[in-house]
Amino acid sequence: MTRKISSLLCSAALAVGLASPGLADSGETVATIKERGSLLCTGHNGSYLGFAEVDDKGKWTGFDIEFCKALATAILGSPDKLQIIPVSWAQRFPALQSGDIDVIIKVTGWTMSRDTELGLQFSRPYFIGPTNILVRKELEAETSADLEGGVFCINAGTSIERIVADYMGARGIEYEALNFEKGEELRSALYAGRCDALAGFGPFLAATRFNAPNPDDFVIMDEVLALEPESIAARQGDDNFIDVINWMVSALLMAEENGITQANVDEVRANPPSASVERLLGASPGMGERLGLSDDWAYNVIKAVGNYGEIYERTVGEQSAYKLPRGKNHLWLNGGLLYALVLD
Amino acid sequence: MLGILRTHKARAWLYQGLALAATLGLALSFVLIARQNLLDQGIATGFGFLERSTGWPINFALIEVSDRSPYWRMLTAGLLNTLLVGLLGLASATLVGVAIGLIRISSNLVLNVIGTTYVEIFRNVPLILQAFFWYAILTHLPSPRRAIPLMDIGFLSNRGLVLPALDISAADVFLFAAGTALILYGAARLGGAGTRASRWAWPLALAALAALFVLLLLTGRTPEAPLLTLPELRGLRFVGGFEIKPEFTALLIAITVFGGAYIGEIVRGGFLSVDKGRIEAARALGLKGFQINRFVRIPLALRAMLPALANQYVWLMKATTIGIAIGFPDYFMVVSTSINQSGQTMELMALLMGGFLLVNYGIGFVMNRVNARLAIKDRAG
Repeated sequence: MTRKISSLLCSAALAVGLASPGLADSGETVATIKERGSLLCTGHNGSYLGFAEVDDKGKWTGFDIEFCKALATAILGSPDKLQIIPVSWAQRFPALQSGDIDVIIKVTGWTMSRDTELGLQFSRPYFIGPTNILVRKELEAETSADLEGGVFCINAGTSIERIVADYMGARGIEYEALNFEKGEELRSALYAGRCDALAGFGPFLAATRFNAPNPDDFVIMDEVLALEPESIAARQGDDNFIDVINWMVSALLMAEENGITQANVDEVRANPPSASVERLLGASPGMGERLGLSDDWAYNVIKAVGNYGEIYERTVGEQSAYKLPRGKNHLWLNGGLLYALVLD
Repeated sequence: MLGILRTHKARAWLYQGLALAATLGLALSFVLIARQNLLDQGIATGFGFLERSTGWPINFALIEVSDRSPYWRMLTAGLLNTLLVGLLGLASATLVGVAIGLIRISSNLVLNVIGTTYVEIFRNVPLILQAFFWYAILTHLPSPRRAIPLMDIGFLSNRGLVLPALDISAADVFLFAAGTALILYGAARLGGAGTRASRWAWPLALAALAALFVLLLLTGRTPEAPLLTLPELRGLRFVGGFEIKPEFTALLIAITVFGGAYIGEIVRGGFLSVDKGRIEAARALGLKGFQINRFVRIPLALRAMLPALANQYVWLMKATTIGIAIGFPDYFMVVSTSINQSGQTMELMALLMGGFLLVNYGIGFVMNRVNARLAIKDRAG
């Protein structure tokens, strides 16, 4: 009896689903966010330099925070309708599951165990996390080959130890690995000149360089030893929310591809160069209703935070204190791995 | 049957047997529970991982290791590093300690103050801070390109000290050291025997040493390689020569200086424990100053020192584990990295404990033997 009722309900639900093709209602998460009037997004317990920094007035800035703002703007129309919840690395997954936050935007690697065992759904990668080498400028090293015979400081017991060994071994470059358990000793050994180079996760190197007594003495080499794609994570099962996130990231990339910036977005919207840009900025309808958002959501986002390149350079790139090379986070047409999805 | 239990001896055996069984049972249940928990979590157990290659290198080892070496070889390298820095540290700390101890009991006021200041400073600052301090000094030396030349044959930089090297392997150095010890022991036995051959003991020993040196030089060398290589700056580093890394030096200095302060106090205590009456008795017998020291004061003081010294040696050997803080790949650091990289926590912890148990049991064994030899042999009581 019970089974019959539930199968009846199922087919009814299916019929309703088929009856409204294309035009998505907001998913559960977006509905909750709209009802609350603000997006709950991840911060950090303290400052994770370049990505989520908090100042003495409690104001958050950084690469990840800009994406939180972009998402808040896409859904609610304003970057101010955002609450940053400070969570540690370990807290981020339980905090998402318990509903303390709506979304994790916290340089989180898309790994199989997280994807399959933690009940998470990942967006397309929004940041390519590289393993880089930080070197003293005076060595004038351009590539890893110039570091032949040099000393590498490495965090003991991390995957970086193996990445460097494999990378240098495959290229037949001799080096000496000096391993430290703790970050403080690792940094002071580098600053003192005990090692020629520091190998590690790009953003960590950028922060290490920034904290050096003389940041200008150090430079992060363009060479990439290994990659980890970082994605935005949401709760499993809300397809509409993942769609919104994916298209938000794509809109930022498409804006950069088409030269649309925070400064010229009004101008471009008045004179769209192509039909797809017209759609992107909401000058012609269709962009919003398919996601359950307003038609001008992408315009609002670009107006609020700029395009992908602007966000990058402002928070972690050349215009910031960290000078993290853009490397693989360039658009495909500039030699990077990032691209916009097709907006039809 | 129960009658046996009434005897005192049988009951004592029973109690001891029960205590032993309980202890063993407890240990066994720990192992079984841990094993079950690991199985439940899907974590592989066993020592099979020792054969797998590590994938990460260390920068200081007495045997050839690389990122392709298996875990057992990497762990051996770590244990040898611990032994090297530990044994050298014990030897140098003893030298410093004896000097400080003697300074502190001397009647010279200036020396006294120096000795007291030394002990108070280095005994009261935690060892790890001292290690950081020496390491910071050594790493703030100039870079290799601006290295301080030492008589144009060696260089001092923040990469360490490079000296001209003889083309001999570490194994040869070990053989030479072992041979030297054997020859010296033989010479001492022969020289002390009081026979007619005794006067030839030392010249013979000298000749044997020279022969050993030449033999190892001829057999242990790589053919065609120059006998002596001078360090030379090439690119980022010195090529050729023998390199002493700052991590090693800093740890050795820290253990020497810190251990020296403690051993100094042990030495001082040993000498102060010698009864004044005995010295006076020796003087009354007409012994001269150095004779009193050689035959009365030093043997008595040594006896008082040995138990405390043995403790101190074991303690200092364990203290080498602070190498992990300044990047010296000692046994503890290699084990710790292996745990992170292989995930075999239980097995590696067991190896860590086993390794230190072996080393410290060895020290204890030697010290007990020495103690037994020096103990007063009057069985009559």
